[in-house]
Amino acid sequence: MFELLSRTLRYVFIVLIYYFLYNFLKIMIADLRGEKSQPKETGFILLDENGNKYTLFDINTLGRAEDADIIIDDPFISSKHALIFKRGSKLLIQDLHSTNGTFLNNKKITRPLRLKENDEITLGTKKFKFLRGETVGAEDRSYLQ
Amino acid sequence: MEPRTEAIYNKNIAITALVGILAALLLAFREGVFSPVPIYGSLIFIVIMFVGHFLTNHLFPKQDPALFILCCFICQLGLVMLYRIDPESAAKQLIWFGIGCLLYFISSFVCRTWIEIKVGPFIFFLVTFVLLASPLIFGVERYGSKSWISFGNFLFQPSELAKITFSLFLADTLKEHKIEDSIKFFGQIFVVLGLLAFARDLGGAMLFYFAALIIIFAATSRLDLTVLGLIGAVVAGLLGYQFFGHVRVRTKAWLNPWEDVPGKGYQIVQSLFAIAEGGFFGTGLGLGRPDYIPAVTTDFIFSAFFEEFGFLGASALIVVYFLLIYRGIKISLTIENSFLCLSGLGITVFFGIQIFTIIGGVIKLIPMTGVTLPFMSYGGSSMVMSFISLGILNGIIMRALGGEADG
Repeated sequence: MFELLSRTLRYVFIVLIYYFLYNFLKIMIADLRGEKSQPKETGFILLDENGNKYTLFDINTLGRAEDADIIIDDPFISSKHALIFKRGSKLLIQDLHSTNGTFLNNKKITRPLRLKENDEITLGTKKFKFLRGETVGAEDRSYLQ
Repeated sequence: MEPRTEAIYNKNIAITALVGILAALLLAFREGVFSPVPIYGSLIFIVIMFVGHFLTNHLFPKQDPALFILCCFICQLGLVMLYRIDPESAAKQLIWFGIGCLLYFISSFVCRTWIEIKVGPFIFFLVTFVLLASPLIFGVERYGSKSWISFGNFLFQPSELAKITFSLFLADTLKEHKIEDSIKFFGQIFVVLGLLAFARDLGGAMLFYFAALIIIFAATSRLDLTVLGLIGAVVAGLLGYQFFGHVRVRTKAWLNPWEDVPGKGYQIVQSLFAIAEGGFFGTGLGLGRPDYIPAVTTDFIFSAFFEEFGFLGASALIVVYFLLIYRGIKISLTIENSFLCLSGLGITVFFGIQIFTIIGGVIKLIPMTGVTLPFMSYGGSSMVMSFISLGILNGIIMRALGGEADG
């Protein structure tokens, strides 16, 4: 009797264990999808000297290359010049071994550095300002009026 | 937490409870007469699990509930096996599970509100040193290594606690992503390894060595050190083979256990027989012969599980362990503060290596080393320390999501 029960129940156990796993894998896949799905805006932007705005996402490459996220046409800028990425709730900038270097507030950066509002980033001859998106949006509306 | 995710988590809690109840009902009829002991055990387990899950979820809305559910599930399977093999140790294990849950809760709480204690890496090293040195002086020898301290009936293994302090030590030293004083740093690591080797806890020494190697690589991304470390591991292995008798015995038993079946190869051969007996679906709970396997409640519990739940059950268990490690690595990756990130990684790495070592050992993939299978093996200090480490991991993720001070 016990033998029969045990032999039947082993299939039940295996089904239950795999159902448990299936549920967790579902959560895991949803997690990974959520991270990969369309890049999230960070609420920060880069503003260049001509007033052009570049919205910053979780990961942005800056450079001359056509597949860079933010394309900057300047002879002094490398094809993949710098990287701005999100870690935790902060944005960091990293130089991608560019020929002419990346400067943050006129200091050459050698390791990933945290960006703060109103920081000035210099790539080649171009200067950018790191700003919060909303502040610029408000300014824009004031232009319209 | 999203309602959909929450529903899935609750479903998994229910599955864990259901597995326990079904197994307990089955085991209650095992001897031919009805004995309610496993049913009581399973009910107590369910109460602790429910209280633990809902209480932590209520108090810490930002926690990672998956950690607790995954380790409850593994504990449940471990307890089922223990009730089947030896109900007396299962009852003790249940008490340890309760204490572990309580400590999980406490360590999560402490870690969440933990304002960066600036003690510096040296204090962490000192604590690790004292923990590992204490059994050399006060300890008792069990299972061929002098790494236990006895309090009355209760045996405690300080190296379990040292795993946590050692990961904190590594994380604190390497939080700038570079090794500042390499002679001092490597000297400290070798002192720790030396203490473990001196206590003849070579499995532990290997665990600490590889954990250190992985954390150093993760922190500094230096391939040269990793290659050197791997070469060092080979050299240490060869030296161990030369100078330690039981390393030679273990290695020989691994290379060819059939040479000396009743003697040196006995453990591993019995383990392999059990695994072969299991087949795809297992023999069914209570129908295997775990009593033939030595040390079946501690080191070889995986073989017993394999025999009765089969290849399908055992491979699912390995995936559950993988999920636990995946959650740990995911938590470490989301954290900006490099000290917390590396401590989380360290704890996860210790888990990962330990699981690989013991499962690899019992299935004869690598030589057998006597480490416990976290959450599953019978043993108080292993259970409690595994829960504390996961509690710390949980506290780390809460700090990160709570956006508390980080630098």
